Amino acid sequence: MEQWADETNAANLVMMFRVPTSAFRLLSAFWRLNVAEELQYRANFIASVLGTVFNMATALLTLSLFFHHTTTLGGWDYWEIVVLLGVFNALTGVIEAVLRPGIGQLAGEVRSGELDLVLVKPVDAQGFVSFRQLDIWRLTDIVLGLGLAGYALFRLGHTPSLAQLMAFGLTIAAAAVVVYAIWVVLMSLAFWFVSVENIAVLFDAVYEGARYPVSAYPGALRFLFVYLIPIAWTTTIPASALTGRLRPEIGLAAAAVAGVAFGLARALWRTALRRYAGASG
Amino acid sequence: MSSIVTAERLSKTFQVKVRDPGLRGALRALFRPHYRDVLAVRDVTFGIDPGEIVAFLGPNGAGKTTTLKMLAGLLYPTGGRVEVAGFIPWTGGPAFKRRIALVLGNRQQLVWDLPPEETFLLNRAIYDVGDGDYRERLAELVALLELGDVLQKPVRQLSLGERMKCELVASLLHRPPLLFLDEPTLGLDVTAQDAIRRFLIEYRDRHGATVLLTSHYMQDVTALASRVLMINRGRLLYDGALEALVARIARTKRIELVLGGGDGNRVTAEALAAFGEVKSFHFPNAVLEVRREDAPTMSARLLAALPVADLSIEDPPIEEVIRLAFARGGEEDE
Repeated sequence: MEQWADETNAANLVMMFRVPTSAFRLLSAFWRLNVAEELQYRANFIASVLGTVFNMATALLTLSLFFHHTTTLGGWDYWEIVVLLGVFNALTGVIEAVLRPGIGQLAGEVRSGELDLVLVKPVDAQGFVSFRQLDIWRLTDIVLGLGLAGYALFRLGHTPSLAQLMAFGLTIAAAAVVVYAIWVVLMSLAFWFVSVENIAVLFDAVYEGARYPVSAYPGALRFLFVYLIPIAWTTTIPASALTGRLRPEIGLAAAAVAGVAFGLARALWRTALRRYAGASG
Repeated sequence: MSSIVTAERLSKTFQVKVRDPGLRGALRALFRPHYRDVLAVRDVTFGIDPGEIVAFLGPNGAGKTTTLKMLAGLLYPTGGRVEVAGFIPWTGGPAFKRRIALVLGNRQQLVWDLPPEETFLLNRAIYDVGDGDYRERLAELVALLELGDVLQKPVRQLSLGERMKCELVASLLHRPPLLFLDEPTLGLDVTAQDAIRRFLIEYRDRHGATVLLTSHYMQDVTALASRVLMINRGRLLYDGALEALVARIARTKRIELVLGGGDGNRVTAEALAAFGEVKSFHFPNAVLEVRREDAPTMSARLLAALPVADLSIEDPPIEEVIRLAFARGGEEDE
């Protein structure tokens, strides 16, 4: 019995570091399917854009209320925070377009047993449930979010250098990985506590904290957001890269944090699958 | 021929949280959960040869699906050894998964809002099926299942039977040598059930595939399976041909009579009772039950003594045999 378990770990370890070229073919097959599905519902596009614009307007209004009483928040001034808000919206687009319709459905599938049909397929199950679904209309959030960030940079009178743009590219990618890892961790709980659909709400609540720079929070919360639920890395750091606040070593740390978060999430997912099959106590 | 599926003393124990009814029970289960071991499969041993169609028989909760899931690598056995197509399922990885298909009667992989062909294309990418192979296999499956114009309609507009047929197509595009079917005809009408049975036999004959299925419908079993594995409470009660099971379990035969004779000398129930137990009697039809070994002599005596227009000897209905077999297996278990 134990021998089986060891073989599995070894095999999975190999799988983890080898991204087969067929993965890309598979992704394009998935997303082609989703585009075909979504194109049937063009009204979703209008609804999605209106929803995003409304959300951004509300957020900007809240922000200007804050700035009635102060000129900086955590050392950031108004337009810097609007840059951050744009980054926040772009990441929300990633969450809504990929994560919620994909891995967000895991709990229901564990409960109904539909996950079995995924597990018998010769593909990586985590990759399958994570990236099978693409809600294309919500991709507009990414465009609108980046647009807002660009406008705020213009108001700041700051044109990012090439190095700053590259740092932004690196840190926003790291941010997407961190957000993904948080979702994998939360959704893996479905294997222990079968009904965790509501856990997505928990994520939303905590993720609200990423609307403001982490320096705006008191010490305990800041510690929480940097080290435990690492949402500080998702918006504060990429926004800092755009406005020129980012120190290079923090950018590298962001990449490392993303790597560690991904590794931990992957390990938890594997433990969860073993539990699902009854391979562990 | 060497077996494609081997199970040796295969066992699976689940830990199930037990809780007392009511709010107090719920609270206690929340804070101090108690677990009970459920022996879903116990020491099951069997082997299956390539090309066989084998049915798992048993009531709900007998351990059929659990066994199937262990064979498909979805569940990890608590004890024993299992080898499928040369692999240990749980560790087989992609190479193993390409050699099996799993169809679950109550779950679907088809994308609800799109025509089934879109799901087929996705599976073509997943299983890396070449263009020529894909077209050839799809054409064959569509012809065998008589799917025709269904492929372009969104799945949500298909009937249950059409959907199950499409599930089969989606699951067989990579042409697996081994099929695991859990209740493939669940909820289907008689025509669709029959079509799926004929398809499975034809598919096996053409490609030598091995089929393992569970079903509640006895027709599935009688029409498809050359061999049954009867499971109850996790134990294998019987492994062999269905006819042999009937011969072993059913100690009786049924003599079905169509009586002749005019109104004047109508045969009465009392007269029939002298030959065996009268199961039903609606003149001119009658059904008698006699001991298995007595069936030939009783038939001869009936023919000699009564005006008989037609007579046939049948086994009791298969459902009844199975019920008897489980009842007896249960007794041994206590």
